[in-house]
Amino acid sequence: MKHFTYYKPQSLDEVWELKRKTPDALFIAGGTDVMVSIKNREIHPQALISLRSIPGLDSIDTGQVARIGALSTISDILHNPELKKDFPVLVEAARSLGSVQIRNVATIGGNLCNCSPCADMALPLLVMEAKVRLQTAQEKREIPIDEFFKGPGESCLASEEILTDILLEPPQKNTKTSFLKKGRVKMDLAVASVAVRLEMQGKKCRKARVAAGSVAPVPLRLLKVETALEGEALTQKHAAEAQRLAEDNVIPITDIRSTEEYRRQITGVLVKRAIERALEWSRA
Amino acid sequence: MEPGMKTEISFILNGREIQVAVNSHHRLIDVLRDQLEQTGTKEGCGEGECGACTVIIDGQAVNSCLYPALEVEGKSVTTIEGLRGPKNELSVIQQSFVEHGAIQCGFCTPGMIMSAKALIDSNSDPSEEEIREALQGNLCRCTGYVQIVEAVKKAAARLKEKQ
Repeated sequence: MKHFTYYKPQSLDEVWELKRKTPDALFIAGGTDVMVSIKNREIHPQALISLRSIPGLDSIDTGQVARIGALSTISDILHNPELKKDFPVLVEAARSLGSVQIRNVATIGGNLCNCSPCADMALPLLVMEAKVRLQTAQEKREIPIDEFFKGPGESCLASEEILTDILLEPPQKNTKTSFLKKGRVKMDLAVASVAVRLEMQGKKCRKARVAAGSVAPVPLRLLKVETALEGEALTQKHAAEAQRLAEDNVIPITDIRSTEEYRRQITGVLVKRAIERALEWSRA
Repeated sequence: MEPGMKTEISFILNGREIQVAVNSHHRLIDVLRDQLEQTGTKEGCGEGECGACTVIIDGQAVNSCLYPALEVEGKSVTTIEGLRGPKNELSVIQQSFVEHGAIQCGFCTPGMIMSAKALIDSNSDPSEEEIREALQGNLCRCTGYVQIVEAVKKAAARLKEKQ
């Protein structure tokens, strides 16, 4: 490995101080992406500032509004019974992420800040309309998660800013959700992935949120699909329409994992299946 | 702290408290293999895909190739070397791997066994599905996994009997 200095600050104040002294230093959480990028010489940081030792950043509170500390590991989320009850779609996505060894170390904040279009944790947060808390030495702000992603590897974070918490409002009654991911093998990165949230009133869909991963420069809300579902008494016809609209509204690329055509088609299929599964029409 | 400078850390390795001076940029696997001569832990891909480097930190299986050495300060690390008994005998899981032919070239075996141990320690009666999920991050290019899953299943049953 290329040499770098590794700092382990014990408080946020210490973080700001280190960042001021070494502006080029990179923040590191679980490191399951950063360490690989350094090894593959994609990045060459002189210094890393670890956020792992800062008290409180890795805690989960499930009060009226759930607060997930950005340094919570994917395993922490997967094994949290309260999150499983209130936000099953988040837990399904957590289960799909990497291997046990990765989940034990990788953090939800790291998954988001890495800003990969295929970030597994982004989709459930998009459909649950999560908010994220961002903090610098001077300022704290809270923004909706769909304003966070700007492009592959790019977020709205300023260079000295860190993501501290993810906030989730409790779900309404009769909220149906589902997460589906297509990868070559189970622990692989997604070829495409989809999350849906449907707030139902009888057969009628009051509110729909649909998001897809690996099909655009950022994890993407499929607004046209949402509009087509909202206010409707949902039937197979709507699921088929959602499939068509999803295919038309994603902008995938061809890369090492898949082709543009396949991604477009599979996203449509996943959207349809995710709706069917959320509404328990099928167990696919 | 400048690059190249070493920092003293202390942690528990296989039940023994140790101190070691580590480089800032070193990973846990570097320290285990190169400084502490615990070469049972293998480096395969070095990217967290193959699981050959799996060790247990505070009860959880992790890839030691992605783990900054400085982060093990104060933690408890178990490697394959920590599994042998007081008379140097193999542990139940290791013995089960031998008996089931779950080892061919052997390179994946230490990581495979550490993942199996982390599973059985937290779940004394794992289903086949749970075993396969726990071993998803460990690649074996020889055995085809059937014997490995069998070995873990049998080891879990034996350990349960012993309790």
